[in-house]
Amino acid sequence: MKKMSDLAKKEQKLAYKLLLPTLIILILIAFYPLGQVFYTSFTDKEFASSNETHFVGFDNYKKLLSLNIEELEPILNENGEQKIDPETNEPVYERPIDVLPREPVRYKEFKVFNIFGKRYVLGATDPYFISALGNTLTFTIISVFLETVIGMIIALVVNSNFKGRGAMRAVMLIPWAVITVVSARMWEWMLNSNRTGFFNILLDKFNLADGQIAFLSKDSLQLPSMIAVDVWKTAPFMALLILAGLQLIPENLYEAARIDGAGKVKQFFTITLPLLKPSLAVALIFRTLDALRVFDVFQVLLSSKKYSLASYNYFQLIKSREMGMASSIGVVIFVLIFVFAVSYIRLLGVDQNAN
Amino acid sequence: MFSKKSSIVAILLVLMLTFSVFAVGCTNTEQTAGDAEEKQSENNNSNDEAKDDEKVTITIAGGAVGNEYELTKKGAEMYEKEHPNVNVKVLDTPDLADDRLGLYLQFLEAKSSKVDLYQLDVIWPGDLGEHFVDLNKYGAKKVTDKHFEHIIKNNTVNGELKAMPWFTDGGIFYYRTDLLKKYNLDVPKTWDELEKAAKKIQKGEREAGNPDFFGFVFQGNSYEGLTCDAIEWLYSNNAGKIISDDKKITVNNENAVEILNKIKGFVGTISPEGVTGMGEEDARNIWQAGNAAFMRNWPYAYGLGNSEDSAIKGKFDVAPLPHGKGSPASCLGGWQLGVSKYSEHKEIAADVALFMTSEKVQKMRAVEGSFNPTIPSLYEDEEILEANPFMGELKDMFVNGVARPSAATSPNYAETSELFYKAVHSIITGEEKAEDALEVLELDLQDATGFETGEPTKSN
Repeated sequence: MKKMSDLAKKEQKLAYKLLLPTLIILILIAFYPLGQVFYTSFTDKEFASSNETHFVGFDNYKKLLSLNIEELEPILNENGEQKIDPETNEPVYERPIDVLPREPVRYKEFKVFNIFGKRYVLGATDPYFISALGNTLTFTIISVFLETVIGMIIALVVNSNFKGRGAMRAVMLIPWAVITVVSARMWEWMLNSNRTGFFNILLDKFNLADGQIAFLSKDSLQLPSMIAVDVWKTAPFMALLILAGLQLIPENLYEAARIDGAGKVKQFFTITLPLLKPSLAVALIFRTLDALRVFDVFQVLLSSKKYSLASYNYFQLIKSREMGMASSIGVVIFVLIFVFAVSYIRLLGVDQNAN
Repeated sequence: MFSKKSSIVAILLVLMLTFSVFAVGCTNTEQTAGDAEEKQSENNNSNDEAKDDEKVTITIAGGAVGNEYELTKKGAEMYEKEHPNVNVKVLDTPDLADDRLGLYLQFLEAKSSKVDLYQLDVIWPGDLGEHFVDLNKYGAKKVTDKHFEHIIKNNTVNGELKAMPWFTDGGIFYYRTDLLKKYNLDVPKTWDELEKAAKKIQKGEREAGNPDFFGFVFQGNSYEGLTCDAIEWLYSNNAGKIISDDKKITVNNENAVEILNKIKGFVGTISPEGVTGMGEEDARNIWQAGNAAFMRNWPYAYGLGNSEDSAIKGKFDVAPLPHGKGSPASCLGGWQLGVSKYSEHKEIAADVALFMTSEKVQKMRAVEGSFNPTIPSLYEDEEILEANPFMGELKDMFVNGVARPSAATSPNYAETSELFYKAVHSIITGEEKAEDALEVLELDLQDATGFETGEPTKSN
């Protein structure tokens, strides 16, 4: 490495000086609260209470993340065969509540599953947290995937030449411009569980349902509803980012491809997609991080019926008033997002493009 | 080396992005509180604040269910008229008690002086008492014996009166007089009778051309309101009230299983599938549009049901809720006014609290909004009885209502209730079997409170 010239050194010093105010502000508004949350996560601090706070080490994390798998033995009748429940005609196994350990901490049933004809129960010390984690990951993966596909389609359409393209581009952004809480309320009305709700009217008109579908209370429909709301809202944002990427691709590449006889599909996969990778990566990172910390949609539409990580965090803070526990959930979300972000950068090679 | 550097930069950037997640954990606190403040100032633009700099401003955080907000505002104006140098603002807060608690906690954790008076649920004095002044020291002593004794007792924590009773509440049963007559039915007295009557009316009304008609609506969402509804179901079937007064966990018993399975059977038959997502206002909207034969709700729906734009004006009446093996139960509700310890004008705030809970204002609220007074003598007031004929009949019901176990479990009531309503919700949505859910609930309650299990109190 070459030795730096005096001028370069001077410039470097100046750069550091100019960066100093930013750094101070960052420390004040970012690192201080961040550190505070990390610290609180190791305590049993109670929210809005004068109770004394104690340092509890990793207890909060243990309580959130402990899992346990136990096998459920079949229950046999006198002949040594497995008992069959006369009501449901299902074979009878031990009950999870009798099998899962209770001391020193109690494991609660999270899920019962079968592998190779044997039945197991997955226990967790905090099943709500584990299911919040599952909900958030499912929500993130499906919604980001759909948003990318739909966003790509929209971007390709508004990137082509047609009359009214400018207006189209503006209109497309409306869902994204609406505040999430407002759009969530709007969707709440549309998803209403009787014929005052848009979707129930629609399904009823086509005789597909009786107009009484409870989208927001039925377990199997809750996550799909959340995903629908999120895709509606953020596909335009995805489209915008992809559109920006599309416009960076020089037109002459397509011309050359046409002369060489490449079809539209081939053009897309050999020119558009590879050259779009950097913008796509940025868009994906943005959306994934956003989706992982989803709060407003879940809070407004499902409240305590089903949690995302962030809304579970809120409920720990407000309902249980366990600020220490809430902080450790915050830290878990932080770590999760960090892992996602770093792996995106590695996989899609964003930092090489920075050069 | 360059690429290494840039990857560090990239990671730093990521750190910044990820950091924003803490918005939920901590910053959100201030944000939501800030939002509410904005809302508050918007609400009060009509009061010309610019002129009166010397005026003292007292802010009440109150409810906005039905016409509650308007009436609180009206009470505030009455006070302003008598005390021209005081400006009383009303901050409207979320409808759902859980959300409201969330907002309050944020103000209280910040020791904010922005709100002087808080409207407190009957279950909160125990859990939140440390943030409120002893009103006995501010002249409440003279008036406490005018109010119902059981509410004053509920609001007194360690000998300190934490809040003034403002209005009391109890779950009541609404029924359509016209439909009972049309189908030649009596007012249902038991859950079985309710189911039968609801089925009959629902079938008839649907055949008559209203496919949206349902027999019975109640509060089935996963929130505090479900605790109220469910404690009525349990108590009316001799299944106790979750935790008894002598601190025994009584919820896991056969009678509870029986009645919860019965209610589960209502969902999707005489009650809409969506009832498991309904709060007070959702149920009232269906009822008031004329799309339900029966409803469980609080008394506030009485006045609104008889308002000009109501489809069922003059076509309904109220009665005690149906019962099972026991006697009818009404969950004790109601709201109080407490003065924040962090208020800058505690004297004036306490005076406003005493004024708002006085006979005069309580009467106005009873006549115009069917808010049940906490002053027994008002139940004989002619104007009130004319507006709310049910108040006289159901007075005993309010007095002998079933209290949620907030005193026995304090300061863990919020957690207790959450465990309970989540368990009940999982039963009535069919996610869990009643037996299993109650057995798990019993263990959960043992963890949360440390109490022993015991036999439920019988209601008859």
